[in-house]
Amino acid sequence: MSGITCDQIRAATLDPGASPRDWTGLPEAAAHVRRCAACQDWLEAFAAGEQAWTSVPADDFTGHVIARTAGLEAVLRDLPRLADMDPGLGFTERVLRATTMKPSPAGWRARASGAWRALVRRPRFAWEAAYVATVCWVLVFGNPVGAIEWSTSNLGAVARERLGPPVNELRGDLETWRATLKPEPASARGTAAGATAEPAPPVLRAWQAAAEWVRGVATSVAETFSTAWARVVEWFASVLGEPSNPSTEPPAGGARSS
Amino acid sequence: MDASDLSTLVERCRAGDALAWEAFVRQTQGRMFALAYSYAGDREDARDLAQEIFVRLYEARGQWPSGDEFLPWLFRVARNRSVDYLRRRSVRRPAVTVGEGEIAELPDPAPGAEAQAIASDRRGLLHAALRGLSAINREVVVLRDVHGLDIKQVASILGIPLGTVKSRASRARVELAERVLALSRGRGEA
Repeated sequence: MSGITCDQIRAATLDPGASPRDWTGLPEAAAHVRRCAACQDWLEAFAAGEQAWTSVPADDFTGHVIARTAGLEAVLRDLPRLADMDPGLGFTERVLRATTMKPSPAGWRARASGAWRALVRRPRFAWEAAYVATVCWVLVFGNPVGAIEWSTSNLGAVARERLGPPVNELRGDLETWRATLKPEPASARGTAAGATAEPAPPVLRAWQAAAEWVRGVATSVAETFSTAWARVVEWFASVLGEPSNPSTEPPAGGARSS
Repeated sequence: MDASDLSTLVERCRAGDALAWEAFVRQTQGRMFALAYSYAGDREDARDLAQEIFVRLYEARGQWPSGDEFLPWLFRVARNRSVDYLRRRSVRRPAVTVGEGEIAELPDPAPGAEAQAIASDRRGLLHAALRGLSAINREVVVLRDVHGLDIKQVASILGIPLGTVKSRASRARVELAERVLALSRGRGEA
């Protein structure tokens, strides 16, 4: 702005060797102040401070500023009062509630344990653990996809190669035992059984007789129904004028003549 | 706060003494709340922030430094937590740069008799003027002039050179005084 800066304006104003209003004689400075709101504010504050100005220390720039700025000493005196403020009722209890009374982790073991617990409690820990485990698996055992593909095509051959001899040996033993334990013919077994078998108890014999009777009744009922059904079919065939099924044809001189 | 008392409390807190922790909270909550307020600019936010600071201190109490190193460390922790808090809050609501004139015209955010009393007294004026400073200048003034840390400690906490702290402290004081004046005029005070 007009070749003169805010700092130059302020320095000129604060310079004890020059009249505070000397700069107003400079057209560039006047133009700057007319355009610069910050300088206008600063000069206003300075003018107010000047009223409280009493003495100017000789060679201390900060002292000049302090002396020329009204209230700075009072401000500096008041500032330490801001160091302590009442946080309000219940603040201590609130803090104590937020900080649980657990013993402080003193040693590195306790700190490491605490860090590990915090790590494990993280929501993504399961995913990270699975990822690390997968990487370790691949590094140690190789690519699992390739292994699976290889195993599906070669598992039989490997099994035959590895397990062939013992299986063949077992198979031979099995045949031997099978031949040894081969059952005797039924006639011989029946003779032997008849010779040595004891008579069945009466209850069992009665049960077997009852079962035989039920089986016979059921068979005869089924045959009766079957015959009746065949006759019904034959009658319908004769009524409708269709040739009857040979299997269901009644004997000659049957229902037709009657 | 007596340095020897604080040192004893710190040692007992490090050992896991629950009563010492409660005493520590009661002794330091005023300063922590004031520091939080200088960052948050609002009582409720400052309470939340101060609580976060205490929770952080509690979690790290096994690593508390002892002796003269404790207080600067405490302020460093509080400052870092405050900066984090402001960063999170700026995500939630955009920060607005408020001019000096606007500050003078702003209604007090906290309603009620207490808030009005605070706003009308000189402390409220100082807080309003502090909020008008740039972030780094405000931090320098708060740590140096409000909490009484020395230049080296302030430089260490803020991570800036010693000379920068000195120059910023001088400029920030003048700027603060100017703002107090402007606000005083704006509120009809002498």
